[in-house]
Amino acid sequence: MGNWNTYIMSETSDLTLELKHMIIDTLELEDIAPDDIDPEAPLFGDGLGLDSIDALELGLALQKRYGIKLDAEAEETRQHFANLNALQALVEARRVE
Amino acid sequence: MTFVPLTQLPWRRKAARHRALPHHWVEPLSLAPRIDAWRHWLADHPGGEWLLYQPHPGDFCAALIALWESGRVAVLPADDRPATLARIAHEVDGTLPDTPGDQAEHAAREPLSHPASLCSTATAIVLHTSGSTGAPVRITKRFDQLEAEIAAHANLWPLADGCVISQVSHQHIYGLLTGVLHPLCAGVPFCGDTCCYPETLAARLQEAGDAHLAPVVVSSPAQLTRLPEHLPWRDLPRPLRVFSSGAPLSSEHAQRTESLLDAPVIEIYGSTETGGIAHRRQSQRAIWQPLPGVQVSCEEAHLAVRSPFLQDPQQWWQQPDRVAPVQSGFELLGRADRVVKIAGKRVSLSHIERTLATAEEVNDARCIDLGRSDGRLGVVAVLPSALIPHEHTTRHALIQRLRAHLSHHLERVTIPRYWRFVDALPCNAQSKLDRSLINQLFADLDDTQSPRWLGDDRPDPDTCWVTLEVPERLIFLKGHFDEYPLVPGVVMVQWAIQLAAERFGQHGEFQGIERLKFQRALRPGTRFTLKLTRRDDGLAFCIDSHEGRHCSGQVRMHIQEGRQHG
Repeated sequence: MGNWNTYIMSETSDLTLELKHMIIDTLELEDIAPDDIDPEAPLFGDGLGLDSIDALELGLALQKRYGIKLDAEAEETRQHFANLNALQALVEARRVE
Repeated sequence: MTFVPLTQLPWRRKAARHRALPHHWVEPLSLAPRIDAWRHWLADHPGGEWLLYQPHPGDFCAALIALWESGRVAVLPADDRPATLARIAHEVDGTLPDTPGDQAEHAAREPLSHPASLCSTATAIVLHTSGSTGAPVRITKRFDQLEAEIAAHANLWPLADGCVISQVSHQHIYGLLTGVLHPLCAGVPFCGDTCCYPETLAARLQEAGDAHLAPVVVSSPAQLTRLPEHLPWRDLPRPLRVFSSGAPLSSEHAQRTESLLDAPVIEIYGSTETGGIAHRRQSQRAIWQPLPGVQVSCEEAHLAVRSPFLQDPQQWWQQPDRVAPVQSGFELLGRADRVVKIAGKRVSLSHIERTLATAEEVNDARCIDLGRSDGRLGVVAVLPSALIPHEHTTRHALIQRLRAHLSHHLERVTIPRYWRFVDALPCNAQSKLDRSLINQLFADLDDTQSPRWLGDDRPDPDTCWVTLEVPERLIFLKGHFDEYPLVPGVVMVQWAIQLAAERFGQHGEFQGIERLKFQRALRPGTRFTLKLTRRDDGLAFCIDSHEGRHCSGQVRMHIQEGRQHG
């Protein structure tokens, strides 16, 4: 199934897949495939199990790949890391082409 | 502001002036109402040892001081893992809640008097760290030990007219002394908590500058090696100095941090047991110099320390680090036991192995420091054959279960990231899992073209069964079919030829492939056996998994060398 869906969703899902690959490659999550990352599940703590060092690495990767500069409102900024959907919203809103 | 020793209650002196700093900063001289709220709360509770875990330095300080002023001892867990807190809660007289309750209600009560000074030979804190066997070790510090070390810092690096921004936890000795107690005695503001993020650090530097205070940064290699270059460090107030501790910085990263922040980077070497031992500024000299008052001896490459910061200042303490003596100092050569540090967190490999072995599925485990730049650990876990995962989903689920099991006992950054499952540990002729076998097991981390090796079986000299897995990050999976990634047939044949050459020492001119059959797609995460048989004119191979046969064929070669029996 899903050809029609895939077609309609392609732009969004391209970025979703791209971000999944960015997370997997940046953090060397060798046992995780893109399908294992549930866009709604927490990336940190009990979901994907990422930790404080991963948060720093992801911050660097976002800057490198999308030119996104996180700002000082740490509480707010790090909320973008809550799950993949939140991260994707951040990239869509703040990416520098 | 002048320096007041810890036992003279520096937080009770009269406030000279008020500084305009945002609320996340802790003003040592404004702590009194919060200390008193805790004092009132404690008045209704027994004395003795109290467990204290508070992430915010202000909340932490108020509770810590209230314990001290009321003659109690603060017991600091190293992390907030449920198993850690439950274990320690068992050994103490009580656990402090998150807050002492309604501050106004406390304020209405009769004022409490505080002692004129604290007894310097009394126990101030109990810290926890991981011992070489992995068993948690309890370390007590008296006020005189803490005072001696704070005084050494105050002499070398005075904080007058400064402030402290800490990126490390005050539940550990280094963060406690450098990030909290020293500024407390010096009467200067400090902050912590979310400062571990670079963006927050930048904002706090600006706030310090706006208040005309010279900021001192307390950090660790985990943060400094990941400082982003795009933040406007050059436009921000320059730190007076940057401390780093927890692990040595590479000279490259020490240089980079100095130029990025335009400030001297001072590294402190020490441990929970010893407190600080030595310091260095790598851009000037890579040799570690003992802190004032600390004596070191380097006998047979082992470091011994005698120091006023130790429990027994007269005795020589054996530090489990290997060193080389150099004039007026020493070089560090690494640990002498199975303890490693990940992002500054000390963890015993034996402890991880024993904890893993208590998981239902695991018979035995070897935890390995792979020496990678990210510091992440690897594990080789021995499982009963029936429980070995054969495909991605079961392997992923197993790793999730084992990580969850470990997370009750370990801080998240110390949980191994790279997992290899076997039914018996691969071993060399001496029955040891040696470095070269370990390198083979984890070779696919840096080589995205090879299958993941998990063991060889050699029923006879002409036959070899190699257990392998398709790494999820195999380069050949990319761009093939995004929706249905699989290993291209040509790659399977290439693997057969390559692995046969390594095992049989057969090298020859490729003549052709015969009887080649592809029967089943080989998918990422699948565990498979590559069966290799040496033939006079080349080799025969087949690839099987729990699903059945994937591929088989014969490769004809013009063999140039004689047979080598391996």
